Amino acid sequence: MVFDPHSIRQEFPILQQPAYEHELVYLDNAATTQKPIFVLERLLGYYQTTNANVHRGAHFLSDQATSQFERARETVARFINASEKGQVIWSKGTTEAINMVAYGIEHLLDPEDEILISSLEHHANLVPWQQLAFRTGARLRVIPFTSDGLWQPEYANYFSDRTKVVACTQVSNAIGVQLPIQEVIHHAKQVNAITLIDGAQAVAHYSIDVSQLDCDFYVFSGHKMYGPTGIGVLYGKTDALDSLLPSQTGGEMVLHVTYQATEFNILPYRLEAGTPNIEGAIGLAAACEYLQKHDREAILQWEQFLVQRVHSLLENRTDIEIYSPRDNSTLVSLSVKTAHIMDLNNYLDSKGIAVRGGSHCAHPLMAQLGVSGTLRASFACYNTIEEAEHFANTLLEAAELLSED
Amino acid sequence: MEHLPYQNIKEQLQSCRSKEETFKALVTLSKTLIRLTPEDKIDSNLVKGCETAVWLIIDRTNNIPQFKADSDAKLMRGILVTILSLIEGRSTHEIQSMDLSSELAQLNLGSYLTQSRTNGVLSILKKIAQT
Ligand SMILES: Cc1ncc(COP(=O)(O)O)c(C=O)c1O
Repeated sequence: MVFDPHSIRQEFPILQQPAYEHELVYLDNAATTQKPIFVLERLLGYYQTTNANVHRGAHFLSDQATSQFERARETVARFINASEKGQVIWSKGTTEAINMVAYGIEHLLDPEDEILISSLEHHANLVPWQQLAFRTGARLRVIPFTSDGLWQPEYANYFSDRTKVVACTQVSNAIGVQLPIQEVIHHAKQVNAITLIDGAQAVAHYSIDVSQLDCDFYVFSGHKMYGPTGIGVLYGKTDALDSLLPSQTGGEMVLHVTYQATEFNILPYRLEAGTPNIEGAIGLAAACEYLQKHDREAILQWEQFLVQRVHSLLENRTDIEIYSPRDNSTLVSLSVKTAHIMDLNNYLDSKGIAVRGGSHCAHPLMAQLGVSGTLRASFACYNTIEEAEHFANTLLEAAELLSED
Repeated sequence: MEHLPYQNIKEQLQSCRSKEETFKALVTLSKTLIRLTPEDKIDSNLVKGCETAVWLIIDRTNNIPQFKADSDAKLMRGILVTILSLIEGRSTHEIQSMDLSSELAQLNLGSYLTQSRTNGVLSILKKIAQT
């Protein structure tokens, strides 16, 4: 392995502190990543030198803030290879972006229509569609992906003239598997369905090219890709964004208002009511720049290598079941037959190891796997081989301790 | 196994110097819990608001209520042993006049209690304090 996480690690101040009396081992990166100094300094710098409201009024700071804010949009557009910066709409995060679409297309749906999702979705890419189905009388259908995430020819049968929307995650947050989004988008296009890809778990690890994917919408959160919380992106093709009704109205998104009517602004502003999260946008752009400064392929290979290392330490154990793939995954999701997830979670925590135990906001998927939850260790660029091994060995220790009655 | 008296448990837990020691102490305590039979582990006995399943059965036919509790997680069983030893043998009136959560707060359980949003210790205490 050519990649050395030790130098990158120095750029994340939070990782230098202890957890209880142990070294902090942060393996909850799928929930949120830590932030590098590069991003933190940009945030501080914004408030120290630039802070003002954007798109309003002529003064020195406002002009600077507006141009930084709009440059951030350009940076993010380039980061995902969108053809125009106006195709990047700011949101609070993935959840809000999906809701913007689910409310925005409500007027396009009829009771005969079908909304298609995969069986590996986070609640964020499930509940908004289910509720949209309730509101419109449309039918929510679920493609029954197996946990290997592989495309099966019979899935094609789920696509028909009735299919109006297809929403699918690129990477499962619960079991780390990549979904065949190319096939999903391809079949959706054959029936002229609107496509949305949930990139929340993908952006930190993979280069995203929305133009090549050719989906109508692509959504993600800043906080899972080394950026700040409270900012995310709704990317949309221009005509797809044009078809959305604004789910929020108010200032900033209007051109002209009378008591009788309102003329909405153009994209992207039409979908961004109110004062936006300016610092968030600037911080997210910094995170994009940060990722692009590094060899992303090398980081991805490193993260996948850590997962393989954990597998090799655990996979010969008959009491441990691993739900995530050994290869091409940046997280490990597992359970131990003789121990409760929360006990394992707490034991690891008591040793300074941060992982996530639970249902990962994916109740239907947990039911499909026949478990109430899993323990998930998810890796990022700053994790070391020692941390991966320490996690696996401590898990074995916990399994030992918890199995005796 | 017999429950330890609450004072013993309190001393044990208070002598723990780290989260790790508390973890091990709770696991040890968990072994003294009298487990529920499968017939008692029914949904209507589940305490709502717990990430780990917790069953709590309170028999209030006598002045001194009888408690039976269980969980599928060991740490929670250790916490249940602690809570039960604190209230067992007391009348409903006595229990209601106790400040259970500030008593538990003295036990070094730190994050095990502050996670109550998910582990539901608060919901357990609420159910115990109901008449
Ligand atoms: C696959 C997936 N989709 C959606 C979300 C929701 O993201 P957010 O909470 O940032 O809106 C998450 C976050 O856990 C996720 O992993």
